[in-house]
Amino acid sequence: MSLSKRTMTLNLTDAEMQVLEELCARKDLSKTALLRQALRLYQIVETRLEKGDKLFFEDDKKEKAEVMML
Amino acid sequence: MRIEITKDWCIKMARLEDDYEIGAGAIAVDPVFDGEKAAADTSEQSEPSIAFGRLLRLMRRSQGLSVEKLADDAKVEMEELVGIEEDTHFRPKIRTVYQIATYFNLPQANLLQVARLTTPRDPRLTEEAVRFAARSEPVVALTKEERAALDAFVTVLSERK
Amino acid sequence: MSVTISPVYLFNVERGQPEAAELWDAITDQQLADWEAEWIPELFKALQKLRRAGVERKHWPQSRHWDWRRKAAALQGILAHQGFSVMCNGLTQGMMFVDTTTKRCRVESQKSKNLVYVKFVENAPWNRKELLFDPPRYRGIGSILMRAAVELSHSIGFKGRVGLHSLPQSNGFYANACGMTDLGVDPDPDYSPMRYFEMTSEQAVAFVEKGGKS
Repeated sequence: MSLSKRTMTLNLTDAEMQVLEELCARKDLSKTALLRQALRLYQIVETRLEKGDKLFFEDDKKEKAEVMML
Repeated sequence: MRIEITKDWCIKMARLEDDYEIGAGAIAVDPVFDGEKAAADTSEQSEPSIAFGRLLRLMRRSQGLSVEKLADDAKVEMEELVGIEEDTHFRPKIRTVYQIATYFNLPQANLLQVARLTTPRDPRLTEEAVRFAARSEPVVALTKEERAALDAFVTVLSERK
Repeated sequence: MSVTISPVYLFNVERGQPEAAELWDAITDQQLADWEAEWIPELFKALQKLRRAGVERKHWPQSRHWDWRRKAAALQGILAHQGFSVMCNGLTQGMMFVDTTTKRCRVESQKSKNLVYVKFVENAPWNRKELLFDPPRYRGIGSILMRAAVELSHSIGFKGRVGLHSLPQSNGFYANACGMTDLGVDPDPDYSPMRYFEMTSEQAVAFVEKGGKS
């Protein structure tokens, strides 16, 4: 990981920006930090899905629901 | 990322750290020396090592040793030696390779690489291993002993119950 | 793979003085090669010595160690898994892999917040007194790697928060030298009986200040 030195302009809809700001407030992260976290998470998920793994959520009652599939 | 840590900080903390153990993480555990197979995941296809099996067989035979005798002398399990010589996909225990290296006075790290237990870091060694495997394929007729053993086993196999 | 190298210092025990070293923000083939060809043989020799000396040791499945060897190759290129290594005298002296993405804080005051989770940190065998290397070659690797984790945590907005599962023999380091909160043995079978330690933002500040205002 090198110093962050690549810049990008990101255009978002009002709704997207609102969600971004809410998430930032909730997670106490800057917009940049949050979006970088999102990118890391996305790469992990995609890597696993490409391998053929599946992604599940499990609720309190332990009833699985498939969230994502390739 | 560039991390600025002063020399003073390093030395002061080194003093406080003293001789503490620092290992952490589920995968930082020290290996057990014997008893466990080297392969973590038995469902994983291990890479074939023709060269290692061939090497072992030829070194053993060059010293006139049977598998049992070598197993005894080198203090390894016979099943391991058979697996190495006979099954190119067999994954020997690290300890077995170490014992073999010691017995035949070969460098352990190199033998581990030839046995495909470590990722190859010496391309020349890999090349030589391949060359050795290709050149050492026997084409001679069976010896008297081989013929006798073969015949005896075929007899057992052929027994119909 | 691009690597950034930061200068650091280790304490050379035999010479009794600091020695220039490097903190790399990656684990490359060079470190993995050192690990396989230098660490593992020394580790086995040392464990053999201990066994012969009749020293009692907790036996962990060997396979778990080797899992990492292959995983490390797979982890390269994944943003969420950041590697760090300490080099000195041309050899890898310490390695660490962290997860910046999938773990969350457990300490009540920062529950569910993001943190840098140390998946793996290990000292080179010759630096470990426990492996009968007396005196050990270098001191200070643990602190440097912890500092790296804390600084990474700051840089990605996690305010210095770090978490890890300590090996039993390392509890003292994380509790005392690092000043982390001990949340006890993790009941999860994947980690049990390792204890889970977490560093709060405040503890991160204290940890850095321990070595003097740098």
